[in-house]
Amino acid sequence: MSKATLEGKTISLEEAYRKAADILRSARFPLIAGLGADIAGARSAILLAERVRGAFDHLASEEILADLDVMRSFSMFTTTPNEARVRADCFLFVGPGLTKLWPSMVERLAPDQSPRHGAQAGAPRKIFWLGPDASEAKGVGALSINAPVSEISSLLAQLRATIGGRPITREAAGATPAIAEIAQALKSAHFGVVVWSASAGLDALAIEMLQGIVADLNVSTRCTGVPIGARAGAAGVTQAAGWMTGFPPRTAFGRGYPEHDAWRFEARRLVESGEADAALWISAYDGEPPPWSRADLPLITLAPAGKQPGHGLYIEVGQPGVTHDAVEYAQEIAAMTLRKASQSTATPSVGIVIDAILAEISEASSC
Amino acid sequence: MLTVLRGGHIVDPATKQDTIGDVWFQDGRIVAPPAHNKGDVEIDVSGHVVMAGAIDIHSHIAGGNVNTARLLLPELHRAVRARLVGTPLSTAKWSTYETGRLYAQMGFTTVVEPAMAPHHALQTHLELNDVPIIDKGALTVLGNDDFLLRMMRQGASESAINDYVALTVSNTHSLGLKCINPGGCESFKENMRAFGLDDVVPFYGVTSRQIFQLLQKSTQAVGVPHPLHLHMNNLGIAGNIDTALQTIDAAEGLPLHLAHVQFYAYGVEGKHGFSSASARFAEKINANPNVSVDVGQVMFSDTVTISSDVLKQFNSLSGAIPRKGAIFDGDANGGGVVPYAYKISNYYNAIQWAAGLELFLLIQNPEQVYFTTDHPNGGPFTAYPDLFALLMSADLRAQMMARLPADVLEHTTLPSISREYTLYEIAQMSRSGAAKLFGFKDRGQLGVGSVADIAVYKPSKDIAAMFRRAAYVFKDGERVVRDGNVTHYTRGKTLHISPAYDKNIHQRLDAYYAELYGLPRTIFNISEAALPKENAFAEVACRN
Repeated sequence: MSKATLEGKTISLEEAYRKAADILRSARFPLIAGLGADIAGARSAILLAERVRGAFDHLASEEILADLDVMRSFSMFTTTPNEARVRADCFLFVGPGLTKLWPSMVERLAPDQSPRHGAQAGAPRKIFWLGPDASEAKGVGALSINAPVSEISSLLAQLRATIGGRPITREAAGATPAIAEIAQALKSAHFGVVVWSASAGLDALAIEMLQGIVADLNVSTRCTGVPIGARAGAAGVTQAAGWMTGFPPRTAFGRGYPEHDAWRFEARRLVESGEADAALWISAYDGEPPPWSRADLPLITLAPAGKQPGHGLYIEVGQPGVTHDAVEYAQEIAAMTLRKASQSTATPSVGIVIDAILAEISEASSC
Repeated sequence: MLTVLRGGHIVDPATKQDTIGDVWFQDGRIVAPPAHNKGDVEIDVSGHVVMAGAIDIHSHIAGGNVNTARLLLPELHRAVRARLVGTPLSTAKWSTYETGRLYAQMGFTTVVEPAMAPHHALQTHLELNDVPIIDKGALTVLGNDDFLLRMMRQGASESAINDYVALTVSNTHSLGLKCINPGGCESFKENMRAFGLDDVVPFYGVTSRQIFQLLQKSTQAVGVPHPLHLHMNNLGIAGNIDTALQTIDAAEGLPLHLAHVQFYAYGVEGKHGFSSASARFAEKINANPNVSVDVGQVMFSDTVTISSDVLKQFNSLSGAIPRKGAIFDGDANGGGVVPYAYKISNYYNAIQWAAGLELFLLIQNPEQVYFTTDHPNGGPFTAYPDLFALLMSADLRAQMMARLPADVLEHTTLPSISREYTLYEIAQMSRSGAAKLFGFKDRGQLGVGSVADIAVYKPSKDIAAMFRRAAYVFKDGERVVRDGNVTHYTRGKTLHISPAYDKNIHQRLDAYYAELYGLPRTIFNISEAALPKENAFAEVACRN
């Protein structure tokens, strides 16, 4: 049996839906944030944001937008984990903690096995790792270049220059001789694959440098990338936001149509500046709390059992793919898939809860 | 509820009507006039043209590559106005919701997304599900997939190939097969930068010709109503008319649909080495009734090219406007998204524009040529009304030609063509012919028993204005458009076929996915449970 509480006191679900609708309807500019949800949940949340003319943001937007900004201002080469697995003859992993961000990475990409397709089939792969965590590079048999994440950008710049035959300083070359080896390996690879994640701390400039390397290599050979998406359903939510509004999260409907602005519609800024006057926080995967410090904001929280916040209205929701079937963007195939519930319960999903709230808000009262 | 549209000019090629009359419908279907001749609802449409809802056979409206384009180009689709009541997100430009609204208000009621990758089919269906009002369908892409190429290399039997084709179409819930630069995308992964009809795919030892011929035969054998839908090699390259003509010969008289053929109608004449070869192309199509084509007309605008022809898209990247793009090596085809601007002052773009119109006007049978812009590759689908106007008015074409670079007219036969499409021919191309092409027995026409998808237009001197905003549109008998405005959403279906196959192929495929990818094949499954609401699909019958 699912539960809902208002300021810590148990209320019925029907009461909770009505109360949530009241809060959102009476707000001048409500915020729908967190958005840690499956596709059905994201879809309902975006329709709700549109109905109440609010803004929507995802809790990992910084990371989503680091990759997107590179694509929409530079270019982006990508492939699937399947293609990387069967074809790559050279892997370059970039950044720390990739195996934590994607626990099945090594199993999926199988760097220890030989590629299966192309002229490179059967030969061992070359594997490099720029700035790994303490032991993870050893786990995949990579030649690692140890560096803090803050230095990855300049190492990538050095690598790009080396690949392009442009000069670098003698000190830089001397400090990391392995860069020349990576450059040579990527240039002579048939199908090089770089693996990165903005969630490892790479910013847009580092990712652009990485994609610049890929673009340069494609002049004469093939090279592409496998991005590791951010937490809490970020990649799938971005896709749903894309087809529903044309834009990624950090989009708002204040004027009755979607406007995307990564600064204006950042959840924390909207709350802390007072521009948003109510919030619906969705974090169905793990109940991660909101990033803002204000406690006086009318708040509705959708989170799994045990993640009830200290104040406001709380409605318990199920965990996608755990307590209910859920469509998600699956990192292992770089595509949508239906995850069957591993321990099904009757706790409603984000989609069901939001649809119930939406049903309380008529079209006419939205504007 | 029995409804009658009174006194309209009915233009319905399937029933050979081009006359003033009444159209009756009830419970979502066209019905015969009742003896009592009295409708529960009577609508006077005298002075209007009444047609079946239009069918768009090739428009990229959904799927991962389309969504990449949305995210790549926020500047191309800024929204500007709030929506009407009852139509959430209908003014969110380039959203699935806006797509449904815009098609409906032009009188379109069925649209086919022509490039669904098997491993990304679920996203395509999620997006199609969020296109309101209209019915949808998709074509599944094969021809660069390892499983097929491997079977060819091993000399697998035709029946084994047929099982794979039928299973893939069936599992991905599509209307048939599309083949995009067969073998070319796989070869690009092996660093080939050009790929012709008889080039050999490395390591598989098969040619593009062999791949498409095999899929063409297989499509027929398993009873897919739509002929193989082929995106040929060498798209967009000067002199590629030779590829097109050789491809038609290679079809050997079997049914074949060639996609966006304008992009293959290029000769090498003139000082730019780029000319229209549409006259030769049209002559060939007229002589080969087994071949149907859609044009992929270029309309001058800022747009974006979206294609699963990754090789071609990679080669286009250096000419992107603005200079950016996305290149995706997928499990099979993948995709490339490259923005572009077609300018009337640009010699090459003007040749493309003229070559497309020549094809429309020189191909004699309107049920052999379709009106696409290959949305959004040649221009957006919202340019169809302008395209229909150009086809129906030689004067309008002359006005446009006067604005082209002067040397363009030396390398196209367009100025010599006086043909003007009639409304009947427009309806053949956009209704009766399109329905036949997909084996739809009960749409694209107003015959008794057909789906009551009906478009009513108010004639105007401005032909484009007439088609841009239908006076009325009925979807499944329900009025959804009045005076060019969508009044509310209805939920359309996604149409698909289920060709039969020998279930033994399941075992072979399970073993293949486990051995090569280390994955259960079911991870790529489409099930109705994955979509937001039940009854998302409607099945269309196969040929056998």
